[in-house]
Amino acid sequence: MSGALVAQIRVIAALTLRESRMTFGTSHAGYLWAVIQPLLSISVLVAIFYVIGRQSPYGTSLALFFASGVLTLELFNRLSGTLLRAYVANRQLLYYPAIRETDALFARFMLVVLTYLVIFALFFGGLVVLGLAEMPRAPDMMVGAFAATAFLGLGVGSVHAMLMRVTPIWAHVETVIGRPLFFLSGVFYIPSQMPPEVVAVLRWNPVLHVIEWMREGYYPHYDSDVFDPFYPLAIALVLLALGLGSERMTRRWRAA
Amino acid sequence: MIALDRVSKSYLVKGVHKQVLDEVSFTLPEGKNIALMGRNGAGKSTLLRLIAGTEMPSRGDILRHERVSWPMGFSGGFNGTMTGVENIRFVARLYGQPSEDVLERVEEFAELGASLDLPIATYSSGMKARLAFGLSLAIDFDTYLIDEITAVGDQRFKVKSRAALGKTVETSRVVMVSHSPSVVKDFCEVGVLLFEGQLYYYDQIDSLLADYRRFC
Repeated sequence: MSGALVAQIRVIAALTLRESRMTFGTSHAGYLWAVIQPLLSISVLVAIFYVIGRQSPYGTSLALFFASGVLTLELFNRLSGTLLRAYVANRQLLYYPAIRETDALFARFMLVVLTYLVIFALFFGGLVVLGLAEMPRAPDMMVGAFAATAFLGLGVGSVHAMLMRVTPIWAHVETVIGRPLFFLSGVFYIPSQMPPEVVAVLRWNPVLHVIEWMREGYYPHYDSDVFDPFYPLAIALVLLALGLGSERMTRRWRAA
Repeated sequence: MIALDRVSKSYLVKGVHKQVLDEVSFTLPEGKNIALMGRNGAGKSTLLRLIAGTEMPSRGDILRHERVSWPMGFSGGFNGTMTGVENIRFVARLYGQPSEDVLERVEEFAELGASLDLPIATYSSGMKARLAFGLSLAIDFDTYLIDEITAVGDQRFKVKSRAALGKTVETSRVVMVSHSPSVVKDFCEVGVLLFEGQLYYYDQIDSLLADYRRFC
């Protein structure tokens, strides 16, 4: 049994390397771009807020506030968008019986998570080193928030990947679902300061909870009224069970 | 050990129901090279994919307690944008064998030279077949599943692949789909005929060939 586990880890590792080659190309510039891109989007946000003369919604650093929101949201979005095609783009891999379709899903997951670990470390580390941010209050809580975001992305992605197999139109649906998240997840405002009617709607969004989680970990007195760690985890668990379960149940009927 | 336990496999192709296997139970004889014959479209390639595990049966189970290759075919499961070397390394990692070792064996066999550093998309079909065959044999399996591959390539490659296959059957087992009596006689000791959803076993190649001529 442990032999099977070792074999599967080996397969996922090989696939992760392969995915990295497919995503970033052979040059290091490809990987660099993946790291720079989210940093650019934060810089644009900071610049816009600076030009219109707005203060940081929380703390003194605009960059830090946006980073906690944008990076967490980007991790989720990237997982959702990348896992979407994990099954449909990897049919040729099924030539090798050592590979199960879900291995491609996990490999893509690993690659995104490892990339974002680097991005998070570079960005938060950079802000602290440059004196633009304090040390985080509870780094372990930020790790928890990161893991919860990854888990949520995996759950959502596993369902997207199955639906993508039903119809290629699902790629557009995923985009439509994903777009309003930027406004609904508290990226550039503090959810607790919204009117109660608005909060009553916003709190259904699991991504908002993981972003609040990240900020609770960074700031000493963030004190979110909305944050509930069990909600995003429960959503993630249900979606993952749905995604992996439906894959397993339909395996026999799918033609190779 | 490879065994089929009440295995059924059927397809629905554009509204047409196609039964490849109908409640078949069969244990592949140990230590014997097996020829698999049957009509065109009888489902020989599907059966190889079922044994390999790249496809699942509609009903029943397939037991597999050994290292079984993928169904070795003409093209291989290569990614066109990746180079030959990258594809080789990937498969070596997949099966937990040292990449350098595998690379060396494939280089020696396939004779692709500098082309190995080019994307597979630039290869001719003959080059792809050489790479696919070399790569399959460079990975160590207990059983190799071979789908008509000996008919590939130029004369020189045919001779070379026959020789390599001859060496392989000494230490491992092969299950081979072929329509060629001479190939079957050269490499296999026993045979299976796939006919109308059932498997028929022959412990003599000559009787397999006799029935193959009569029914297929």
